[in-house]
Amino acid sequence: MVAPLRTFFACSGLSRDRLSGSRAGWWAWLLQRVTGLGLVIYLFLHIGVISTVQLGADTFDDVLAVLQTPFFVVLDLMLATAILYHGLNGIRVILIDLGIGIKRQVELFWACLALTTLTMVAVTYFSLPLIARG
Amino acid sequence: MVTPANDFPTTGAGESPLSFWQWFLQRVSGLILISLVGVHMWMGHFSGLGEVIAGNQDELVAYDVVKQRLTQGLFIFVDFSLLALVLYHGLSGLCSVLLEWPPAARRVRQVFIGISLLGIATFVYGAKVLLDFIL
Repeated sequence: MVAPLRTFFACSGLSRDRLSGSRAGWWAWLLQRVTGLGLVIYLFLHIGVISTVQLGADTFDDVLAVLQTPFFVVLDLMLATAILYHGLNGIRVILIDLGIGIKRQVELFWACLALTTLTMVAVTYFSLPLIARG
Repeated sequence: MVTPANDFPTTGAGESPLSFWQWFLQRVSGLILISLVGVHMWMGHFSGLGEVIAGNQDELVAYDVVKQRLTQGLFIFVDFSLLALVLYHGLSGLCSVLLEWPPAARRVRQVFIGISLLGIATFVYGAKVLLDFIL
């Protein structure tokens, strides 16, 4: 899967120096972009959903009730995973920008993934009643 | 062997004042957003979880819950700041990604103006939605 993506980015001019480093660094960069773009799309959907308040409190509650059904709780968990990874990797990028941990950036990437995974396992565990109540 | 720092921006200091400020504000807004999104997620998704599980509350998010929250100045500040910063951070990031694509990179001015207008329009609309809860 990596090779075709590298070829695509190389052909589109999106690659340049970013593809020359470690595979982990490339994945960190790609995941940051993908989660970032996903979160921008979600942001507009979120504002759209909240704007249903303009149709009245009952309409807002009806829409929100649908969005709290198990299927959407699972989507919420995916959203939380994307936010968490994007934030943690963002901190890692800032640290590297400041010259902190440059030699350990791959380990920091794995730490971001591990922390995201562990946190989301815990969050999912506490959210199970919401998923099960459907 | 030192791994090249290949996944942080090449558009940092040293190109133009605009790219420096975009790089700087992207990081500052990102750091502030970590706490604001944390508060927003906690209030919206977790603070009422115990009540919902116990059956004392039907839904985590409902009109009355949001309206009650937005009677407090702190949350009005958090929600308006969040709206402004998340739009800035998200659209600035989108702008950076778009400008790495050669066809868009040849139209920097149009991309910048288009994304700025989108951000301003969305902020105005989002602020009006928030005011619908507050007023």
